[in-house]
Amino acid sequence: MKNFSHLLIKEIKELVNKQLVISLVFMLFIFNFIGNVTKSEIKKAMAKQKIAVLDLDKSEISKNIIGALNMANFIIEEKSGEKEQVVKELRSSGLDLLVVIPAGFGQEVSNFRPGEVETYSYLKGISMTGSRKSEIVKALLQTTNEFLSNEYLKKKLPDLDPKLLKAPIKSREFVVVRDRMAEGSTSAVIGSLYAQSFILPVILMMIIMYSSQMVITAIAMEKQNKTLETLLTVPISRTAVVMAKMLAAGIVGLLSAAIYMYGFRNAFSFNTGDIAKAMSGVAPILKQLGLTITTQGYALFGISLFLTILVALSLATILGVLAEDYRTAQSLTVPLVFLVLVPYFVSLFADINTMSLPAKILVLAIPFSHPFFAVQNIMFGHLNMLWLGIVYNFLFVVVMLYWTTKIFSTDRVLTMKLKWGKRKVVL
Amino acid sequence: MAVVLEVEGLKKKYGSLEALKGISFKVEEGEIFGLIGPNGAGKTTTLRIIATLLTPSDGKVTFLGFDLKKHPEKFREKISYLPEEAGAYRNMKGIDYLNFMAKFYAKDEAEVREFVERAKRICGLGERLKDKVGTYSKGMTRKLLLARALMTKPALAILDEPTSGLDVINSLEVREMIKGFTREGVSVLLSSHNMLEVEFLSDRVALIDRGEILDSGTPQGLKEKYQASNLEIVFRSAVQ
Ligand SMILES: Nc1ncnc2c1ncn2[C@@H]1O[C@H](COP(=O)(O)OP(=O)(O)OP(=O)(O)O)[C@@H](O)[C@H]1O
Ligand SMILES: [Mg+2]
Repeated sequence: MKNFSHLLIKEIKELVNKQLVISLVFMLFIFNFIGNVTKSEIKKAMAKQKIAVLDLDKSEISKNIIGALNMANFIIEEKSGEKEQVVKELRSSGLDLLVVIPAGFGQEVSNFRPGEVETYSYLKGISMTGSRKSEIVKALLQTTNEFLSNEYLKKKLPDLDPKLLKAPIKSREFVVVRDRMAEGSTSAVIGSLYAQSFILPVILMMIIMYSSQMVITAIAMEKQNKTLETLLTVPISRTAVVMAKMLAAGIVGLLSAAIYMYGFRNAFSFNTGDIAKAMSGVAPILKQLGLTITTQGYALFGISLFLTILVALSLATILGVLAEDYRTAQSLTVPLVFLVLVPYFVSLFADINTMSLPAKILVLAIPFSHPFFAVQNIMFGHLNMLWLGIVYNFLFVVVMLYWTTKIFSTDRVLTMKLKWGKRKVVL
Repeated sequence: MAVVLEVEGLKKKYGSLEALKGISFKVEEGEIFGLIGPNGAGKTTTLRIIATLLTPSDGKVTFLGFDLKKHPEKFREKISYLPEEAGAYRNMKGIDYLNFMAKFYAKDEAEVREFVERAKRICGLGERLKDKVGTYSKGMTRKLLLARALMTKPALAILDEPTSGLDVINSLEVREMIKGFTREGVSVLLSSHNMLEVEFLSDRVALIDRGEILDSGTPQGLKEKYQASNLEIVFRSAVQ
């Protein structure tokens, strides 16, 4: 035990090297940079925007529209003169949206003929702010339309409710999950679940990839530096040697993933405010539907994740033994990364439960898949699939660990070879 | 004299290649035993088996009365192995490497210090021990590794080509060092294809070729038997 912890500390020290620290710092820096750019872009979009308005009508109604634009957080710069002139003039100014209300607009509208409002957007690059502005103006005109149409209806049919006239059907929406039911919007429920869990696959992917890479590197470096032979002759069991490497990689992998996530959340923290706002309305509905994760649920997810990390570590250990040097080790992580990317993309863009059976089997045969779908399975009560995954991964781990320690306690740890380029495999 | 290591009928196959075809020899307490033979003779294979790195296909190895198959851990406790091509952790300082390795063998902190002090004396690297191993030359690394193999005063030190990669002066130093150590009760089993080196170092030698031991004895005895002036000529006569 003393020797084990001694070895473990050395393994951790070896893994936490300059490269790791630099790559983590670099990542945090990139996240921070992207986060700041996005934040300032959003701030720009949220701040009062300046738009130009050319009112050639000067009627009561056109004044109302300008007033409404003002209320909608726009700073209005009123223009005057010929329309063509103003359109041309704005090309070289900082303004990028012009609303033109033509002469006779109020007259037309009052006489129940369609009045036209023109908007001119000046594209000066691809930015979200520009398109947002014209969206807001559009929405505003939509509301004005609504208002005017209600006025017409009231005038023509004074004893009828214009709301009823425009929407004779009233709808109520219910969401049903298994034996539970709640009144609420489906899209809001899904949206909120998605917002809560969109980050999870990213974390999972990173934990698995980081830890595997660590252990492969640890073993390959031991070979490249020609220290493995010496290490295997010191008075410590082979199982302890393997376990120390795997545990160290697991610890450092988890830590790196945690730091990575911390940086990610920090940089994109504006999201949480929006999510919280959106959540507050939906939360009681989720609770009513049983779409929350209980302590037991978390425990199950934890088990699934833990087993998956073990699978990744033991697989990576074997790959590490195959690698002769650091570079081969790096290329050996490619198949692992591919195996993680499959469930990653499936969980983002598809529903595992509605996939065809062969496709489903193929995805679930990858041991890494299971934690990706665990949360969904817990929430929607597909506990069979969850347990199946846990049992499958458990068996996988047992077999892999047995095989790994076997390799380490026989000649093969020294004689197994795989050199890229020469494409020579000796097992 | 007590026998430290006994090898009987050792065989090793790599697939269809028979690297060792049944070799036997004994190492006695406090002696330096040299395995000499050309490239590919099976020296490294033999030493790796005794160091518990490879499993023999057949034969028996006994160390201090323990059988290799049943008690490999006893071998690891009391045998130090210096591989033919070895390195140390490049990111560690030399002194940290010695500390790291000493802790596996020492029973307490005091013994760790004792081992490291001895290693410092053996390697003679002085202040350079405070530098990272990655900055060492091949010879410096070799001396560091040799020091770590001898610092624990193992019952048996297995040295696979101890002077490989060293210049003439350093080789001489290392040889003196190894010789000095056996006077303190350490037995040494070493290999080399440098016959003159083995002749200088060893109390007894075994001539090995293509997985078989051709002959063994003291360098003096062998020279007399083959009426040769040095071991190189002895080896040539034995092969014929
Ligand atoms: N891992 C291996 N796989 C297959 N064959 C091997 C392996 N290791 C050694 N051999 C073969 O076993 C034989 C003996 O090799 P060994 O390394 O023991 O020789 P050696 O006496 O140490 O030679 P050298 O002086 O060159 O170090 C050689 O024919 C070699 O090709
Ligand atoms: Mg050799």
